[in-house]
Amino acid sequence: MVRCRVAGRGGGRVAPVKVNSSPALGRALLRLLTVQGSWNYERMQGVGFGVAEEPLLRDLPRQAYPGAVARSAHFFNAHPYLCGLAVGAAARAEHDGTTPDQVDRLRTALCGPLGSVGDQLVWAGWLPFNSGLALVLVALGFGAWAIGGFLVLYNIGHLVLRWWALQAGWASGLQVASALRHPALLRAGALVRPAMALALGAALPLAAGYLSAPFAPWARIVVVGVAAAGLLLLRTGRVALNGLRFGLVTVAVALLVAWLWR
Amino acid sequence: MSFEVAVLLLGWGTLVGLDLTSVMQSMIARPIVAGAIAGAILGDLPSGLRIGVMFELLQYDILPLGASRYPEYGPATVAATATAHLLSGALGLGLGAVVGLFTGLLGGVSMNAVRRLNTNAVHRAAPALEAGDTQALMRLHVASIGRDAVRALLVTGSGLVLATGTHALPGQTIHVRGAVLLAAAATGAVIAAGTSGTVRLIGRGSAIGWFAAGLLGGVAGAWLR
Repeated sequence: MVRCRVAGRGGGRVAPVKVNSSPALGRALLRLLTVQGSWNYERMQGVGFGVAEEPLLRDLPRQAYPGAVARSAHFFNAHPYLCGLAVGAAARAEHDGTTPDQVDRLRTALCGPLGSVGDQLVWAGWLPFNSGLALVLVALGFGAWAIGGFLVLYNIGHLVLRWWALQAGWASGLQVASALRHPALLRAGALVRPAMALALGAALPLAAGYLSAPFAPWARIVVVGVAAAGLLLLRTGRVALNGLRFGLVTVAVALLVAWLWR
Repeated sequence: MSFEVAVLLLGWGTLVGLDLTSVMQSMIARPIVAGAIAGAILGDLPSGLRIGVMFELLQYDILPLGASRYPEYGPATVAATATAHLLSGALGLGLGAVVGLFTGLLGGVSMNAVRRLNTNAVHRAAPALEAGDTQALMRLHVASIGRDAVRALLVTGSGLVLATGTHALPGQTIHVRGAVLLAAAATGAVIAAGTSGTVRLIGRGSAIGWFAAGLLGGVAGAWLR
């Protein structure tokens, strides 16, 4: 059920009307899975946002539809899994007869919080937790089971979050900020960080042991030496170095030494 | 590597490349998954897992926040696994890392290029988008995903060409001890990158205690094994 204005845009009375939103929400969710498909440096996720929001705008009056579609494809950038919150809220605001300026302001206001919450919860929490767990299990010999478990567990959280976000946005409209204070979201944020730290802490020595196991003692000394030197260089930050550059320089030097050492 | 297997790897690498940002983000693009499945396709799961763990550690150096640019290790892991399978042993691991790192670099550069092409396409379609033309919106989106698919295909293909090239190296190019040195150096480098990225992610907050506890457990587990 959504609530629609019975009078014109901006000042009308809000009245509840029944709309069969489930199929439209389902289509929007499927399209949200490609929300970054047209990522670009001008509108960032804007075009994907518009594609995802479009099924939710089809019930708008004919004269309101093109304007709403145009607005939906304006600049937007947030965490992809939480984009649904903004998609649902913006669509609901359009149905509620909110002014175009307010819809634009709503989208702009959501970019930062959705990006920040999503990055903390998923990129810096749920994903490294699952990855760390998978590394631990692979190192302990669980092989393919560890990979299957990673994909299943990670994607349960991933898809639940996407679906919750879209529904919460659609239910909340302009009041969407309250959804970001949902107790389950806050509790997940509080739990996932220590879990991630624990999993990664366990994963590092186990993965290092797993990778070094086939080497002779002298080669293990090389592993430890390169790892220590690399960690020092990468953490001190005195040179513009990242993991890829350090890796490339290291293998280039090692290749040269290996070629000379025939 | 037979033609059928090469085609399967190419298809898998393309899916992996698409999953990174464009479609789903279900994390089949994570090296540990990309490597394991590539290993299974090659009938060599242990090599896939080993290369997958190596590049998963490298992945910890990356936080895909906002509009940041980063290397792409999914198709790179597929190519590295093919190299490790073709050469086997320490040489496979070492040259697999070399192939994977170059392919990862290429993947990152190509992602930036595709995003620039998308930007140009958005510029061209701006009048139609501002008119609320739904078909133009859909065309733009689908074409962008198609562009990313072609990109992922080309990156994986380049990686597999490199993998095949290393297989064609004469046997005397690198001695066994040199191969072990290369593999050990690559292993040290990924451990450094993984540890550095993890330390940055954990920061100095309350999670550091949990990290220390995990570290102790991991060291005990590695020692007991």
